[in-house]
Amino acid sequence: VSEFVDECRREWRRLGVPDPIANEMAADLKADIEEAEAEGGSAEDVLGNSVFEPQRFAASWAGARGVIAAVPPDCSGNSGGRRVVLPVVLTAFAAFLALVAFALLVGHRSASAAVSVRRILGGPISVRPFGRGSVSPPSRMFVFGTQFGGPRNWPLILVAGFLILAGLVALAVAILYWSPWSRRGAQALARAPGRTKWWKWPDR
Amino acid sequence: MGEGAAYGYEMTKRLRARGLSTVGEGSIYPLLGRLERDGLVETRRAASNGGPPRKYYSLSPEGERVLEAGVKEWQATRDAVDGALGLVKVEVGP
Repeated sequence: VSEFVDECRREWRRLGVPDPIANEMAADLKADIEEAEAEGGSAEDVLGNSVFEPQRFAASWAGARGVIAAVPPDCSGNSGGRRVVLPVVLTAFAAFLALVAFALLVGHRSASAAVSVRRILGGPISVRPFGRGSVSPPSRMFVFGTQFGGPRNWPLILVAGFLILAGLVALAVAILYWSPWSRRGAQALARAPGRTKWWKWPDR
Repeated sequence: MGEGAAYGYEMTKRLRARGLSTVGEGSIYPLLGRLERDGLVETRRAASNGGPPRKYYSLSPEGERVLEAGVKEWQATRDAVDGALGLVKVEVGP
């Protein structure tokens, strides 16, 4: 009971609810939950599913009473807008890094290949990564493939590798933030009596 | 609330006794808060049966007027729907 009420108090403080009003709401809530428990029930009998979302519940109640200016979209502090925006930004960042790394590697390989083809065929030649190069006979294209290695630009490859690694880390953070193992999932798990796994709710 | 003043959890129990448990779960507090803000209920703090002082909600004169109008509106809607369903029953009946 006290943990739920404390969470509500924190949220009311964050939203700027005046102390006398917050105290009054906290006292009413505590008394109601204690009465339900004394009758053999639980906090869930009073609050329903709101028992797992104290911040949202507190913000909704204070907003309805008109004791805050407006309920912010992210009233729980760890859900809603922020919960969606951060993973999207991280994923976009990861995709951008991967694209840059890919462009670096392809550019490097094309340049290496051009050098290799130039060595074999002689004369100036241009090779585009996915377009049609100016190498016309198919047999020469085979030569192009076998000579793909060429002299390597190790610093460039290192930078590309680092970018790919950073992208993977950003992607992993995004997935973790979105997953049920994040803070919100852990909170729900901690407050659900008899719930031992995040994917399994106790039988009612 | 028309039956008399009640505090939050008491109202939840009243609703549950009438088969409206989903209304009471968690949403009763914001609902009472909204009614209070709109001046449709009056509140007073009083001691409950052996427990701590509770905030009792009762209808204000404005709340009684709105309730009366709401009940009439609901009954008109219900009658209209019943009428429509009666026609359907006649059409699909044996």
